This record gives sequence, structure tokens and C-alpha cells, in this order.
Amino acid sequence: MQSALTPETVPAVSDTTRSRKLQLLGILSGFTAGAWLGAAEAPTKLVSIGISPLVISLIMVIGVFLARWSLPALVLGTASIRADVRRAPHLLIWAVLAGCLWAVANTLTIFAIRDIGLSIAFPLWNSNSLLGIFWGFLFFNELRQAGWRRWTGVLGGALVMCFGAALLAVASSTQAAAGHSPRGVWAALGAGVLWGTMYIPYRKAYLTGMNPLSFVTFFTFGELGMMAALAVSYTGLAPLWRELQSARGVIFWLMLGGFIWVIGDVFQQYAAKYVGISRGIPLSNSNQLWGLLWGIFVFGELHGRGVSIYMQVVGGSLLMMLGVGAIAFSSATGKEQTRWKEAAQREGRRYGVAADYVEARMEGRQLAGESRPGRSAWDWLLVGGATSIFVVFATMARVPQMSFHWGPVVLLTAALLFLLLICALALLRTTRFH
Amino acid sequence: MERDERTVVTRSRLTSALTDIHFWVPVAVLLGGLLLLRFIH
Repeated sequence: MQSALTPETVPAVSDTTRSRKLQLLGILSGFTAGAWLGAAEAPTKLVSIGISPLVISLIMVIGVFLARWSLPALVLGTASIRADVRRAPHLLIWAVLAGCLWAVANTLTIFAIRDIGLSIAFPLWNSNSLLGIFWGFLFFNELRQAGWRRWTGVLGGALVMCFGAALLAVASSTQAAAGHSPRGVWAALGAGVLWGTMYIPYRKAYLTGMNPLSFVTFFTFGELGMMAALAVSYTGLAPLWRELQSARGVIFWLMLGGFIWVIGDVFQQYAAKYVGISRGIPLSNSNQLWGLLWGIFVFGELHGRGVSIYMQVVGGSLLMMLGVGAIAFSSATGKEQTRWKEAAQREGRRYGVAADYVEARMEGRQLAGESRPGRSAWDWLLVGGATSIFVVFATMARVPQMSFHWGPVVLLTAALLFLLLICALALLRTTRFH
Repeated sequence: MERDERTVVTRSRLTSALTDIHFWVPVAVLLGGLLLLRFIH
């Protein structure tokens, strides 16, 4: 009996299956990113002493820097990062540029919260996902030939999420805003524009085949360099040093927050790679929902508040979940993916990156015959060094004098670890982290 | 000879980056952000 599958259709079916797998992987990465990015707020809540927001941000970024070098070294090894950079060295510029954008945006959010409060500031900068959709469409052929259903799912989902985020932000705002200054509104909008634009370098890197784990190692130079420059210029070198010394007891908690944030960000990068920025970014913006879960159940933030506040929280959470669901069910069709490939080929031609390499990496696999660089002593030295720095600051850390509920801590941590395990295994099995 | 070729490739990549709108949009936004930060501060 003759098989129904002709030799021509076998690769097509296999391509479709592979592409569907990668889409699911991207969506799962987006969910996991949201959970871990939201959890990153938890250690920072333990810090209640009067340190300048810029110094808090700088210490977190130092934790981020350590994590961004040690995690890729542990997962793939620095030899793999070097191999990636040799193939597409021009992407280093974009990685550093994206890091600088992140640092300026993060600093703007500090001023926005100070001037207009979290409840107004958060929804304003959360609009970054809408800008991400715009850049994805304009520069990288995302949502082209996607059909009105997918357009409605992605754009409608992002708008519903923004509205849900606004409700959650209003509910979670524990105190009235310091004053409705237009300056704060500009700062929040500016942060949204900077973060939304930061996704141009992300998508550019992943279309050209760079591994997310390689991208983040260079991204962090821009991040730390710009954050250090801002902290020194706004605080002054001597006062900054004094503040860092007086913060010795809480440095560990802030660096831990940075470390957890990096885990979330790595998954966000994989989401941007496999489902594009128009879908990956709104999915990982669900971090606000997770942050609120930690705030309410672990730190008892809304304890004793009125019924209307709880209604806002439930309503906002449901809207965010609805938006996430709408985006998750709007994965790219074959026609849209063909347009992604065209954008990738254009990038490859422009920068002289081999077409077969670009295609292989877009499909999350290695080139045929490509050697797999292993880990070296240098990698273990990096991992050991970063761990030692964390251990040293952990010994200096003060145990915070505040009450929190251990039951929800255990449950939320278990949920985080479960998502981490599932997503990391899926990435390993499907792409071996490529 | 090989070094010359590498220099040409590097220069060509740099030229490609500097003539790429994907580079200038984030640069312009970054400069705008720094200006905004200076104004706010």
C-alpha cells in the first residue's frame, strides 16, 4: 500500500509540527517569564530602610550582572557565547544599546513612582507592549498576513491587559500619590517608550540567530555601565559609596531580587525569540499579576482594605488573564512565519550572516556538523565566583523584622520552581537552549 | 591578506549598522530618555 505522504509533504508536515512546538515553547516561556519577573519584587520588599532608589536600582543591577554571566556559563558555557559572537559580532552593539535603554527606563520609573504614584505610573509604562507590537509589525514583519482574528487576539489582548494592569495598580497602591505632576506622567510614558523600543534590539538579535543566553551577557554591560553612570552623576561618588556601605545589610536581598529577575528575563528573551515581540512581551507583562499575588498573600499588603479594593483586584486579575489567554491563542500562522523568515533573511544578507545558520537558529536547532562547545574551567570559575559573592553578602545580610506568611511563600515558590522545571526541560528537549 | 579581508568585513558590518534605521531608532529614543531624565531631575 502506498503511503499518503509523498516525499515532498513529509518535510512540510515536519516543519509545521516543529513550528507549532516552537510557538508553544515561546508561549510557555512568556508565562514563566511573567511568574519569575513578578517574584523578583519579593526580596526587594524586605528592604525598608531609607536608601536612595537609585542606589537600590544599582545594587539590583550588580546582582543582575553576576547572574547574567554565571547562568549562561552554567547552561551553555562561555565557549558557546564566543562562537555566537564570532558569527554575528555586530549584535554586540545592539545588546549594549538595549542594556542602556533598560537602565534609563528603570531610572525614569523611580521618578514616576515618586511623582504620581505606582497606580498611575504602572499602566502608563505598561503600554510598552503596544509599542512592541508596533515595532514588531513595522520592522520585523510580525502580524503581517496574520488575519483579523490574530490581530484582534494580540492587540485586543494587549489592550485588555493594560486595562487590567491599571485596575491592579490602583488597587495595589497603598498610599495616595505624592502629587499628580505632569513630570511624573512624562517619566512613566518615557519609560514605556524606552522599554518598548528596547525590544527592537531583542528581535534583531534573535532573527539573526543569536542565542538569548549570549545576548544577555552583553546586554548587561550596557545595563550596569549606564546604571553606574546615572547613580554617580545623580548621587556623587563619595555619597554613593557611603550609601552602599550603609546598605551592607540589605545588599544580599536586592542582589537576590536581581538574580530572580534575570531568570525571568532569560525566559522573556526565549519568548521574544519564538513568538516574536508582539506576543512575547505582553505575555511576560503578566508579571504584575504575580507581583500582586506575592504582595497580597505573602506580605498581607491589602489586609483590612475595603470590598471595592478586592473587587478591583479580582477584576483586574481576570482581565489580565483574559488578555494573556487571547494572546496565547493567537500564535503565528504559516503565512506570518514566512514573513518572519523574510525579515531574518534580510538581516542575514545585510550583515553577512550565513543563511543556513540563521535558518537553523530560527528553528531552535544547531547546524548540521556544528560542533558543540563544552564548558571549561573558566565557566566553573565564573559560576563559583558569582556564588561566592552572593554567599559573602548573605553572611552580612540582616534578617528583616517583618511578618510574612510562610504558607503562600512555599506555594508560590513551588509554582515558580515547577514552571522553571517544565519550561527549562521543554527548551532543553526542543532546542537544547539554542 | 587574511587580516585585510577581516578588516574589510568588520568595516562593512559597521557601515551596515550605521546605515540601519533599526540602530538609529533606539539611539534616538535613548538620547530622548537621557534628556527627559535630565529635565525631570
